[in-house]
Amino acid sequence: MTKKIIEAENLTKVYKGKVKAVDNISFSVDEGEIFGFLGPNGAGKTTTIKMLNTLASITGGRAVVDGKDVIRHPAAVRDVIGVVPQELTADDELKGMENILLAARLHHVPRGEAHKRAVELLKLVDLEGSAERRVKTYSGGMRRRLQLAIGLIHTPKILFLDEPTLGLDVQTRTKMWEYMGRLNKEQGLTIFMTTHYLEEADGLCDRIAIIDHGVIKVSGSPAQLKEKVGGDVLTLELTDGPDISDYLRGLPDVYSVAKHEHVYRIKLPRTERALPAIVEGVAKKGLEIKEISFTKPTLDQVFLDITGKSMRDEDSGESESWVQNMITERMK
Amino acid sequence: MFDETLALTNRALKKWVRNPFTIIPGLATSAFYLALFGNSFNPTNLVPSSSLPAAAVSQIKSTILGTTFGGAATYITYLTAGVICLIIVFNMSFGGIDIVLDRQLGYFNTLLTSPIARASIYFSGVFQNLAKAMLLAVLTFVIALLIPSGLELPSSFGVLELLGAFLAFALLGLGLSCIFTSLALAARSIDSLIAVVNFINLPLIFMSSSLFPSSSFPSWLKAISDVNPISKADEAARLLIVGGNPAASGQLAAFTGDILYLVGFVVAMGILGYLAAARTMRPE
Repeated sequence: MTKKIIEAENLTKVYKGKVKAVDNISFSVDEGEIFGFLGPNGAGKTTTIKMLNTLASITGGRAVVDGKDVIRHPAAVRDVIGVVPQELTADDELKGMENILLAARLHHVPRGEAHKRAVELLKLVDLEGSAERRVKTYSGGMRRRLQLAIGLIHTPKILFLDEPTLGLDVQTRTKMWEYMGRLNKEQGLTIFMTTHYLEEADGLCDRIAIIDHGVIKVSGSPAQLKEKVGGDVLTLELTDGPDISDYLRGLPDVYSVAKHEHVYRIKLPRTERALPAIVEGVAKKGLEIKEISFTKPTLDQVFLDITGKSMRDEDSGESESWVQNMITERMK
Repeated sequence: MFDETLALTNRALKKWVRNPFTIIPGLATSAFYLALFGNSFNPTNLVPSSSLPAAAVSQIKSTILGTTFGGAATYITYLTAGVICLIIVFNMSFGGIDIVLDRQLGYFNTLLTSPIARASIYFSGVFQNLAKAMLLAVLTFVIALLIPSGLELPSSFGVLELLGAFLAFALLGLGLSCIFTSLALAARSIDSLIAVVNFINLPLIFMSSSLFPSSSFPSWLKAISDVNPISKADEAARLLIVGGNPAASGQLAAFTGDILYLVGFVVAMGILGYLAAARTMRPE
């Protein structure tokens, strides 16, 4: 049975006795899983991460990380977690290697081991050639990659990533996904991440929870969430012949069928699962397929359905704007 | 905790040394204070040298320095200890800006999510500012020796006197660093830190004997100055810089009293500062 490495039960956070940032949420993360936490700004994502990584106190409920209660044993929790914050926190005046060795020292990694591990990690994030350069000469993408390496120097069991690819170009973002995927597959690292890039969550996460107004609205695998908003749309253009709409409706896994002339629009949970039966049925009815295509629902549709707004419409709050400005400055 | 404190202090000092824009203005300030205060506040300049014979002028100046300034050879000899105290106060006051920036840029949170003792964050703040201020204090002392009509040390001033004077400066620096580090940890913006710091340091400086002897103050101001740790540090250092060997000048008891007072100040500020700092590092 898979071990639950993070468990949150009725987790609640109220700031200054009146602002309820997180409202009675419960979820769990399996060991070795990539768990995505999505939500609009101010939804409670960062507050949840802060409670799990001991930065924020817990007003109600409980959280257990790797079997340790976050309130009672915060120091033990800090031993097993790595945190890669949204802000670019690597020190500008220090070299890449100095930054990572400082993090190793603060995480009590033995000196001999720290250097070896630093070299390995800098290689993993393609920074081995820039290790002896000061961070102020790094590009934004290099800083993010360095930050990922810093978060991993003590070989944590769980890595918290808060918007790990914010502000990166598409190429660097893809590279970051590759690193995270490799760490998860090869080292069994559990990753708890927040992101604004829904395609990132879709491609990378085993499971996703969408939080809004401090409440988890829905959770599940990306495929399950997309199924909930109506699944795929399969478009079939057939040769002349009888109307087979009713026949198609009777097939398993078909939600609905709409016909216009010889074109059928079929809504179904997953095209891959239903397609063989549909193709076989069409052949049985003596018809031929002239053209076939399908579209999959996106997580953006899921997000829109659940929160009533698109992720792309999101505006930053005032305090986040300051951070964003600093990030933008440092990314230059 | 020791290794973590050392690692964080080392980080701050590396950043400081690598940024010439932080050290050069510090040195220029030392030279500037000595030259500016040494000339503009110099009471011997008030003697009307053009209307009196040279010998009389010299005698009056010598009397002023002897009676009011403890027998210092020059006004800058008297002033050096005070200026070094000012350099320490200002460096301690504004040294916390790096801590506020660490908080604003998110570095502070990465420290709080690492398994280090919270005390190491506080003590690294205390020691990094102390190290920076002491380096500037040494350089200010050297500058005072090099400038014309500057610091003239008595013949009985040796290595022990030098160490004694810098012990007084270091104790002042340590005590102040404890206060200002905890203030910086509590501050959420640079503006608020500067406002609070200015509210504290300007009265603290002007109610001390850094620039003028407290014997010339009105009684209420003298009472405050006498318990002001800045006065204690500059008087302890001045006993040595102006008077030389304290045993020979009969000032050993006064020197020891000032040092003990400063030790008490450090212990009190260390405890209070840490308790205040610990509150600022609790989960939000």
